[in-house]
Amino acid sequence: MGKERRLIGAIGLILLFLCLLPLMASDYHVSVFLDLMMWIALTESWIILSGYTGYISLGHSAFFGLGAYLMAITWTHIPYGLGVILAGLLSTAFAFAIGFPFLRVRGPYFVILTLGLTEFTKFLFINLEIKLGGTVGRILMMTPGLHTLYYSILVVTAIATITAYFVKNSRFGTGLFSIKEDEDAANAMGINTSLYKWLAFGISASFPGMVGAILALRRSYIDPYTVFSPIVSFQVIVMAFVGGLEDVEGAVVGAVILTLISEALWARYPYTYMIILGIVMIFIVKFMPLGLVFPIKRRILMRRKGKDR
Amino acid sequence: MSLLEGFQVSKNFGGLKALYDVDFAVEQGEIVGLIGANGAGKTTLFNVISGVYGPSSGHIRFKGENITRLKPHQICQKGLGRTFQVVKPFLNMTVLRNVSVGKLFGRDRLRHRKDAERDAQQILEFVGLSEKADIPAKELTLAHRKRLEIARALATNPELLLLDEVLAGLTPTETDEAMVLIREIRESLGVTVLMVEHVMKAVIGVSGRIFVLHYGEKIAEGTPQEIAENPTVIEAYLGERIEL
Repeated sequence: MGKERRLIGAIGLILLFLCLLPLMASDYHVSVFLDLMMWIALTESWIILSGYTGYISLGHSAFFGLGAYLMAITWTHIPYGLGVILAGLLSTAFAFAIGFPFLRVRGPYFVILTLGLTEFTKFLFINLEIKLGGTVGRILMMTPGLHTLYYSILVVTAIATITAYFVKNSRFGTGLFSIKEDEDAANAMGINTSLYKWLAFGISASFPGMVGAILALRRSYIDPYTVFSPIVSFQVIVMAFVGGLEDVEGAVVGAVILTLISEALWARYPYTYMIILGIVMIFIVKFMPLGLVFPIKRRILMRRKGKDR
Repeated sequence: MSLLEGFQVSKNFGGLKALYDVDFAVEQGEIVGLIGANGAGKTTLFNVISGVYGPSSGHIRFKGENITRLKPHQICQKGLGRTFQVVKPFLNMTVLRNVSVGKLFGRDRLRHRKDAERDAQQILEFVGLSEKADIPAKELTLAHRKRLEIARALATNPELLLLDEVLAGLTPTETDEAMVLIREIRESLGVTVLMVEHVMKAVIGVSGRIFVLHYGEKIAEGTPQEIAENPTVIEAYLGERIEL
């Protein structure tokens, strides 16, 4: 009980800090934290499908881009908050629509299929934009201020993290983990594997949709090349692997580490950042396939058990 | 009414007839053996019964209900559990959690993990794995993995249990222990058993009745005594008479 109370206390302090930050910090620091939380939200939502079921998806970019475009099209017509929620719903609806055929495909084939999805949506939007508007990009006028965007990302990130936590510890989550371990055995033990994967895919997709919508306003200019860029998916995967695929805390740790490296290098040495991203990925997969967080947690657990005896 | 009935069940893979017009019935409370050479269609029959794939023709009834087109999870929830020939433990979960999955999603469909783990503990005691409850399944020996496979199937609370070669690869001592367990499943839990097995001593020792499949067709059916003396079976499968 004491441990749980301490955990809740720590989370409360972090939330309080994040809520008060814009009142104390410079715009630069606020935007760094905005970036950081955006990656946490993307990574937490990614592990709900890919971390828990083992279906490694490169489709996060597609949902991110869809959300961004929904916001670009509806902005100035409907309230900002409604646009964000609609972007999440649209992404989920899209994931549900394509989910059953997509999730019949396993392993590397699923990875390639989701990469194809991202490329497909990108070129679909390039063509649509040229046909309809004659140009490729869109400029968004009169976008909300930095603080509004910051607080909306904070809300989305908090919900994504809480969702990842509750899914992991629920009956539903046990079903997802069973699918990851052995899908046929899970099915034979009574788990409706098709339905569970489909639900996880839909839940997971809503967050990149919302984040994409907010980021469209943050950037105030979008085009299909940048919002449907597979780099978004790649970064999320590296962050998840660094922290540990099944860890709610791991997603946070991975996002923090990679965002800090990116902040340090991106402005002056953008190519160095991509090289480091690649090296980190290789190192983690080769030497720490469980990520950074799980081995530490296990050691703490072992020590506690040792004390008990 | 039989517990499980198959009517002219056939299954083709392309041009290959894996099963051809197989009729069978399993009565409540029996232990039935299913034997046949490699490629005779035994595992295919298990996969058709448990819904992994539908038959090309024919149909299957369980407790009088047509289950031919149901999915594996639906069939499991109706009370028909199975094990896999190549065991499929959830390697990174503890033994206890492996078994609790059956309690959460099988016929009982418990809502809470705590309840599921409490019930799973009883099943582990029944199969003799309670000391291993807290270790990951990947650390188990083959004999223990086979027991875990049975425990997981029992956790789905089946009325009929399909056992697919649970004795293969075990030492003679382990085989004897597993045979005791299979009898116990019928005696103590009242679960009907249909088992595929290559270890003839075991099939003959525990089964009340035996089916023989040969190239996808059922060529014989009867008591162990009758099967062991059946000339067709001896020619097709056994090779020589078995001394009982």
